Amino acid sequence: MVKKFLSLQWKQLKRSPAFEQKLITKIFMALFALYFIACFSFMGIAAYFIIKKEGDGLDPLFVVNSALIYYFIVDLLIRFFMQKLPVLDIKPLLVLPIKRRISINFLLAKGLVSFFNLLPLFFYIPFTIVLLIEGYDVFGVTLWFMSMLAITCTVNFINFLINKNNLYFVVIVGVLATFIGLAYYGYFDAAPYVGSFLNGIYTNYYYALLPFGLLALFYYINYNFLRKDFYLDGSIKKKVQEVKTTELTFLDRFGKVAPFLKNDIKMIWRNKRPKQVVFISILFVGYGLIFFTQSVYDNQLWIKPFIAMFITGGFLMTFGQNVPSWDSEYYNLMMSQNIKYRTYLESKWYLMVVATFISFILAIPYVYFGMDILYFVIAGACFNIGLNSFVVLWGGVFNKTAIPLNEKAKAFSNTQAFNASMLLIALPKLLLPIVIFLIPYLITNDLYTGVICLGASGVVGILFKKPIFKFIEKQYQKQKYATVAAYKKKN
Amino acid sequence: MITIYNLSKTYNSNTVLNINGLSIPKGQSFGLVGNNGAGKTTLFSLLLDLINPTTGYIKSNNIAVHECEDWKPFTSAFIDESFLIGYLTAEEYFYFIGELRGVSKKEVDALLATFEDFFHGEILEQKKYLRDMSKGNQKKAGIVATFIGNPKVLILDEPFANLDPTTQFRLKKIIKELTEKRDVTVLISSHDLLHVTEVCERIVVLNKGEVVKDLATSEATLKELEAYFAG
Repeated sequence: MVKKFLSLQWKQLKRSPAFEQKLITKIFMALFALYFIACFSFMGIAAYFIIKKEGDGLDPLFVVNSALIYYFIVDLLIRFFMQKLPVLDIKPLLVLPIKRRISINFLLAKGLVSFFNLLPLFFYIPFTIVLLIEGYDVFGVTLWFMSMLAITCTVNFINFLINKNNLYFVVIVGVLATFIGLAYYGYFDAAPYVGSFLNGIYTNYYYALLPFGLLALFYYINYNFLRKDFYLDGSIKKKVQEVKTTELTFLDRFGKVAPFLKNDIKMIWRNKRPKQVVFISILFVGYGLIFFTQSVYDNQLWIKPFIAMFITGGFLMTFGQNVPSWDSEYYNLMMSQNIKYRTYLESKWYLMVVATFISFILAIPYVYFGMDILYFVIAGACFNIGLNSFVVLWGGVFNKTAIPLNEKAKAFSNTQAFNASMLLIALPKLLLPIVIFLIPYLITNDLYTGVICLGASGVVGILFKKPIFKFIEKQYQKQKYATVAAYKKKN
Repeated sequence: MITIYNLSKTYNSNTVLNINGLSIPKGQSFGLVGNNGAGKTTLFSLLLDLINPTTGYIKSNNIAVHECEDWKPFTSAFIDESFLIGYLTAEEYFYFIGELRGVSKKEVDALLATFEDFFHGEILEQKKYLRDMSKGNQKKAGIVATFIGNPKVLILDEPFANLDPTTQFRLKKIIKELTEKRDVTVLISSHDLLHVTEVCERIVVLNKGEVVKDLATSEATLKELEAYFAG
């Protein structure tokens, strides 16, 4: 049975449109993964000796233990945004003679086979081997190693839960936020306790019961959660939404693109996924608070254009980069109706421009941190509107994953459209503002020249809007058939 | 109106459509029949430039569809649910199509009023998004939307499937009326031989991507088709 499941899964992976990407993307992805593997392995081998040398006689294992809690939290955070959750189309399985227990266990086990779970091994294994060579207690170290695996798996299952269930999300994020807040304001720091607990696994073996207990607990919760929903009217049933109609006639002034704008706003408003995305894009506006409140970054000039771009670019980064997948459900209509490709793309562009402008208005209070910061924000907004928007649209050409619009993170549906290949396309968007700012700045050594150049890049982009659109349109036309075919394969 | 030249579509080495030449004059009601995999939907997708022909091309009103977008203003189609926008109500969807085709709200309303019978009170003012409607009702909305904006070429893929019997009769009437004026070229595919012989004046049978029969509909056509598919 398990073998059958595995072969089904393998076929699904092999035949998914995302997998049939260009070779160059695959190579980049492989390099990306190799880089992380190399980093982790190096750390695993070197950590012991570095700490031994620099650590004032502290025990390397204990130092690592005291730092691990931060790693776990960051791990959870990254997983939350990036880890693809296991998907198993259960509908056809419901009526087949397969025990639910087996399906669910397989679903959960499948989630463990993930880059995010394998990566830590590249640290833990070499580190453990070094410890053994250095004469640590064999049983203690082995137990410690096993406990780390248990904790990694626990984090994996926690991530699964908070992705699928809002209650768990609130509770777990709430607990974490409370502890982080308590530590930040100096009332109570839980981190040392976690550190000494991890030490305890090595010194008093029975401490290891807790990580394994946690793993069993979270596995059990996940299992029950899925078991409960394993019905047609459970997780698969569609909820009929109540209709709220709006005319949005004020958008008519946009002329040719108005019908699309109205449609897009309804699309965002009435579907779960785009709503989620817009909500996240609003959070982006607050991104600067992390950096501008800390004096460490005062002299880190290169980071400022980057942040300025992020503050106003939330919508570009979250919504824009998934164009045209938002229309994947009715892409055939869009391609055969009385619509010029150009108008369609232009409407998306206007939407991004308007959203960026709104983010900019929201970001004006940053003037509190000084006029210089405001200049950066203005320049960043110009860059986003005039140049980045085009880059984002262009990146959309490579979008081949259909987005089920009205599906939020749900137990049995594909949830994360945001994946590593998207990150790769995002790289130029992240680096461009830094380059455009830094080069003139380094040449003239004048802050304002850099800021002006960043802003001017946007103006130049607007001036060349026509030829740029012509270019982008051509790229979309070229990919049209491939995109239509890819959207046909729904997740 | 529509002319097909040396058209073929090949996936890997599998030829799914191969039509040497076919010409559909203006105002004809053209029926396409054939078993699954005969290439009906492929032909329609090629007509709408949703897939790329391997060889040859299609000209619609003297415009090569794969080279230029100018066929879009006079063409409308309903192939499957991917021609519906699920998060809109039926009215909003009709108005949206209207806006795309330069038809005002009032005109759309006037057109919809003539389909009251066809809708049978299940489409308009339902306070329901299209995605929450039944398959049959979705189809009704999709078909009626193709009539908006006086298209000259109308493409309907299996319009009778999923419809209840009453609606099937009404749809037949609508299509007949539409083609009476000899102004609109209607292309229909169907698995229902009776319906298609009633509605279409010309019927082409596809088999494995090739045209095997090209009949002007007469009394004997239904028998001939039945004989062909039974054997």
